[in-house]
Amino acid sequence: MAYLELQGLEVSFDGFKAVNGLDLSIERGELRCLLGANGAGKSTTLDLICGRTQPTGGRILLDGRDITQDPEYRRSRLGVGRKFQVPSVFKELSIRENLEIARSRHPEPWRTLCVFPSRRPSPRVAEVVEIVGLEDALDTQAAHLSHGQTQWLEIAMLLVQDSALILMDEPTAGMTVQETGKTSAIFQRLRGRHTLIVVEHDMGFVREVAETITVLHQGRRLSEGPIQAIENDPKVREAYLGSGGISHA
Amino acid sequence: MTSLPDRHDRRAEPVPRPAIAWRVSMPRITSAAQFLPYILFCGAILAVPSFVSDPFLLNKFARYLALGLAAAALALSWGYCGILNLGQGVGFGLGAYAMAMHLKLKTSPVHTGSAGLPDFMVWNNLDHLPWFWQPFHSGLFALAAAVLLPALVAALLGWFMFRARIAGVYVAIITLAMLAVTNLVFVDQQAYTGGLNGITDLAWFEMGGVEFDPYSPAFYYLSAGSLAFFLMLGMVFTRSKAGLVLRAIRGGTDRVLFFGYDMASYQCLAFSLSAGMSGVAGMLYAMVLEFASPTFMGVPLSLSMVIWAAVGGRGSLLGATVGAILVNGTQGSLSEAFLNSWQLILGALFILVVVFLPNGLAGLVHNLGARLSGRLRGMAADRAPSALLNRR
Ligand SMILES: Nc1ncnc2c1ncn2[C@@H]1O[C@H](COP(=O)(O)OP(=O)(O)O)[C@@H](O)[C@H]1O
Ligand SMILES: [Mg+2]
Repeated sequence: MAYLELQGLEVSFDGFKAVNGLDLSIERGELRCLLGANGAGKSTTLDLICGRTQPTGGRILLDGRDITQDPEYRRSRLGVGRKFQVPSVFKELSIRENLEIARSRHPEPWRTLCVFPSRRPSPRVAEVVEIVGLEDALDTQAAHLSHGQTQWLEIAMLLVQDSALILMDEPTAGMTVQETGKTSAIFQRLRGRHTLIVVEHDMGFVREVAETITVLHQGRRLSEGPIQAIENDPKVREAYLGSGGISHA
Repeated sequence: MTSLPDRHDRRAEPVPRPAIAWRVSMPRITSAAQFLPYILFCGAILAVPSFVSDPFLLNKFARYLALGLAAAALALSWGYCGILNLGQGVGFGLGAYAMAMHLKLKTSPVHTGSAGLPDFMVWNNLDHLPWFWQPFHSGLFALAAAVLLPALVAALLGWFMFRARIAGVYVAIITLAMLAVTNLVFVDQQAYTGGLNGITDLAWFEMGGVEFDPYSPAFYYLSAGSLAFFLMLGMVFTRSKAGLVLRAIRGGTDRVLFFGYDMASYQCLAFSLSAGMSGVAGMLYAMVLEFASPTFMGVPLSLSMVIWAAVGGRGSLLGATVGAILVNGTQGSLSEAFLNSWQLILGALFILVVVFLPNGLAGLVHNLGARLSGRLRGMAADRAPSALLNRR
């Protein structure tokens, strides 16, 4: 059995099925890309996996364990980490404090009550802020960051959280070409140690990092395979025809 | 490069390029400096009996300190955790009644029947002490009950509210309703609670051979010591990682859930810690006034606590405490004639603070301090080059 299994997953918002009988299995250590037009249900799929949205049908198995009914925080403790499409950090807190929250190996109140965050970052945090280039801004309040910097902060938080399964929703949105390259380098390093599901539009990026791609269309799995197979799949071409098709540039 | 035509999300958001110059936030004051005002304040209130010997004044100050503790408790849940508890009087009242029950049982049964029953029970034709009054013969039990009962009630209410993800103004409404219900129950159950009169004619609390006459320095030290203890405890709590998680929750996102923090249990923790503190405040208040009354659980008192905390600064335990002491001190020094318009003045004060000083007096002090240190730094910077010039 694969590390993560979605079986006949379904969610309906007032009768509209955003995810409609989705089957997906992802092996441990795999880096999977999710593609699909706007509204195909990519973000909703990630919401279902991390528990933000409850499915109206189907099951989610993580490492053989049924987590369909588990609340978000328990899934996180089981190793599910999530980066949101709209970067989601704690705006009132400094970067240092944001990263301290992300360092959550012992998240129970009776344990955090006895922890007094020190000013000196842990070796892991120091390493991560260096990777994302925020080391000079540790005391900056997150509300003052630009969109791109917020994006980096959230990625840094996920690196610090160090989840076994990382769900990334459009991590390179708003990044320059160089920054996108840096992100892809980070992903290359995560590969193997972590299982990653990445929603991404930048085909250059996808080509660089992805082994297997799953294309969603109207809440279903339309196609799955390596990049060449996807690009040549007539079903994928057809699905994209309405909005211009896969354009080769 | 190939791109799928699904870039709408990205284009929709204008992407501000990062300005390389960081907007640097205020340099963080070290934690020792943050403790300093607390230490100074605690030292000051503990030193008062060395200068004041008037028993009535000491009694009055002790009362202000009890109310200060109630405001600090509110700041802990409202300011630090974003939980606006309009029913702070529930914990306050429960603490007061727990202590009053003990002190009532200690009075010599002058008016009472053979069983040494409290007077109001005799008037209500009870012939034996109800079972839940029995353990209050013990002073230790009463002390424990004054803290734990409010905390437990809050934990239960919090569990229902926060599990259901109720937040913001709905919390305010629910806690206000809870207050009204508690008040009604205490007024209604006359035979057990003394009804509208409450529990009056209390004895003095006694522990370890010390008698806490509410007009004595001993009692003042009890109040000041309790306030100092809980201010320090609250300060440590807010500095802990749990306090940090609560500040993250206060921002209004559920993001912490995705790092494994069980948001509801954190909110419950803060809510019940705050209630336990107001229980202690209520306990001291009953001791200092020598009675407990359902007005302790009245809406006006709980709303006043909100005003005190707002005036002093809800984002600071110390600020809220000072706010309560200042407002009550002013009220206490007003003449009878003026007292009628006091509610009006208090209301106006509240509006002014909300509009002009969202962080209360504590925020004002903080800003002035920041401006002052900024000017000092500016002066130092001015001086440096001129010193160089002089040398040349
Ligand atoms: N909470 C919600 N309520 C109603 N409709 C929703 C909700 N979340 C998503 N949807 C709808 O579900 C569809 C899939 O959305 P989403 O998963 O965000 O797509 P994408 O593939 O672009 O990430 C969209 O049509 C969206 O409008
Ligand atoms: Mg999306």
